[in-house]
Amino acid sequence: MSIHPATCDPAVLELYLEGQLSDAEQARLEAHVATCANCCTKLSNSAADDSWWQDASRFLPTDDWDGPPSRQYLDTVAPDANLDTTTDRRSLLKRLSPWLDPTDDPHMLGRFGGYEIAGVIGEGGMGIVLKGHEPALNRYVAIKLLAPHLASNGAARQRFSREAQAAAAVLHENVIAIHRVDQSQGLPFLVMPYIGGVSLQKRLDEEGALAIPAILRIARQIAAGLTAAHAQGLVHRDVKPANILLERGVDRVTLTDFGLARTVDDATLTHSGVIAGTPQYMSPEQARGDAMDGRSDLFSLGSVMYAMCTGRAPFRAETPFGILRRITDDAPRPIREINPEIPGWLESIVFRLLAKSMGDRYQSAAAVAELLEQCLAHNQQPTRVPLPEIPPFPQPIRAAAPPRGRSLGTTDLRYRALWIALTIAVPLIAGIALYDQFWPRTPLPLNTQATAPTAPTGTLASESFAEPDAGSEDTSLWHDGVAGTLDDIQATLRQIDTDLDPELAQETQE
Amino acid sequence: MPELPDTRQTLLAKVGDSSNPEAWREFTAIYRPAVYRLARRRGLQDADADDLAQQVLLVISRKIADWRPTSPQGAFRRWLATIARHAIINALTRGHNVVAEGGSGVLQQLQNQPDRDTSLADIEEEFRRGVFRQAAESIRPEFQESTWNAFWLTAVEGLPIEEAADTLGKSTGTVYASRSRIMRRLKDKVQELEARQSEQ
Ligand SMILES: [Zn+2]
Repeated sequence: MSIHPATCDPAVLELYLEGQLSDAEQARLEAHVATCANCCTKLSNSAADDSWWQDASRFLPTDDWDGPPSRQYLDTVAPDANLDTTTDRRSLLKRLSPWLDPTDDPHMLGRFGGYEIAGVIGEGGMGIVLKGHEPALNRYVAIKLLAPHLASNGAARQRFSREAQAAAAVLHENVIAIHRVDQSQGLPFLVMPYIGGVSLQKRLDEEGALAIPAILRIARQIAAGLTAAHAQGLVHRDVKPANILLERGVDRVTLTDFGLARTVDDATLTHSGVIAGTPQYMSPEQARGDAMDGRSDLFSLGSVMYAMCTGRAPFRAETPFGILRRITDDAPRPIREINPEIPGWLESIVFRLLAKSMGDRYQSAAAVAELLEQCLAHNQQPTRVPLPEIPPFPQPIRAAAPPRGRSLGTTDLRYRALWIALTIAVPLIAGIALYDQFWPRTPLPLNTQATAPTAPTGTLASESFAEPDAGSEDTSLWHDGVAGTLDDIQATLRQIDTDLDPELAQETQE
Repeated sequence: MPELPDTRQTLLAKVGDSSNPEAWREFTAIYRPAVYRLARRRGLQDADADDLAQQVLLVISRKIADWRPTSPQGAFRRWLATIARHAIINALTRGHNVVAEGGSGVLQQLQNQPDRDTSLADIEEEFRRGVFRQAAESIRPEFQESTWNAFWLTAVEGLPIEEAADTLGKSTGTVYASRSRIMRRLKDKVQELEARQSEQ
């Protein structure tokens, strides 16, 4: 077909809008449109009618109700911790350039410590991680170096090197290996294998809560890695999803960034009072600046497990200081309110790890690793392997205001009834298979749950989704109805489901 | 009492990571921000709104397995809207906001106006916004930066064509052409997503 854009052919304009013109034809048409007001108007109108242009201007701009552009914090070592923009990358390289030697390889950015630098993996807290190539062994490595602005800080340099040496002494399949600890031009660095997996953080961001076997597998391996570190007298101090790398699904878990980031951060913290990175997974003693030991890592492990169970960190607030305050003062929201699929025993393990007082937690990583191993075995073969003894951990009451217009004493029972009833009714009616292998064998809530409703404002996830009669606007009616019997509730819920989807309801009745 | 169907299997088969993670990702990319925004509009803090969005998605991820493609057109969307709406209302009437730090005053104020509700129209609007944004995000890599900017500056940010042309160092005609081409693509993509969502 021959194209004569000068004729202002609507058919050609249509081809252009559909992206069907060749590059040359497209360029020719754009050149024509540049001088033809007629075609400009025609293009706008035939691209889409007015309502579409209006919707675009209404829906696409960001406004006050949008969440933060990125919920992810830059992290220090995970290979997938990408710098957000090329601008970030460029500015980082510029800052680094005094430390980079020139290279002959046009694909590389420079040389550092004898490695060809292929790119920037990430920047966080006080360190920078580069992707390097080691020509002699023809392998990629991750090179972590102290941020240049701290290079003149003698204390920071010393601690970085000392902790790196200590971390290098931990040899365990679940702990990242350290090939080398050295310095180049006064900048200390360490070299680790480049792992092409994804961080747990990324996995959580993309998929939310994980399945129970995955939670147990990952947690067990973290606990095993911590056991090896603690045996060397090394506390990790920064156990968080961004520092946990997953390879081949969840078969291989590697704990990275041993004692490094936070050590350096601590050094800066004491000087500037500024917290770098996210403190979401810190222990209360760490948040307060008190002495830490291996049990502090166990608290962080508890936070990580909480995140795997629910898809989010247990302590969140708008500011780092808000987070710290919640870590020291607040009880996290019960896991099973957020994800009722998590069995009570798993919640108990997590909450024991999250005990505010170190003495109330499990006392060693080894004990946790062993317990999780048994739970995993039980999970895989529920009929042959019994669940280990897991005493329910009393769930702390959340510090929060009671619900509007209700007094605590009189509503306790009702909330409790609601909770118990909905725990059973919602899954049944909704056809959610909660009574699968992961659900505790006793259908009624266990001890841990029985204590939960005494926290009157504890938000009841099951309740949220019980979809009251779509016609009834009055939610208090809904609450009041709950005091009735289980049968009543089930009938109501069945009715709701029928209203929402007649066909589905029919099928489940059959 | 009905038998418990083995929904775990079907759920995984449908939206779980085994068969069609792309579908689920697209789904969450549209609806999660929509629920989040609805909650923010009703006065919830960031963390609580995020929480709520997460919960709604969790419930849906479970219930979606039961959804039959034979359901009447649009029923899925209505069902989704109902869940979102009640989750938000319940969260507010329960005093969901425990994040505190300045937020509770606003919330209390909102709670004391029971008539100001999250309407189905609001929800529809946010769903549509979610679709638009997801569509824009997914087509963006198809265009060069300068082409995209011609569209964004004028159609989204409302800059006059002449000004945008100046900023971008292009003729006004090129700006017209570029933004029209993207608009058409956006429209097609929105329709494609809408069709896929109502099929669910
Ligand atoms: Zn023309």
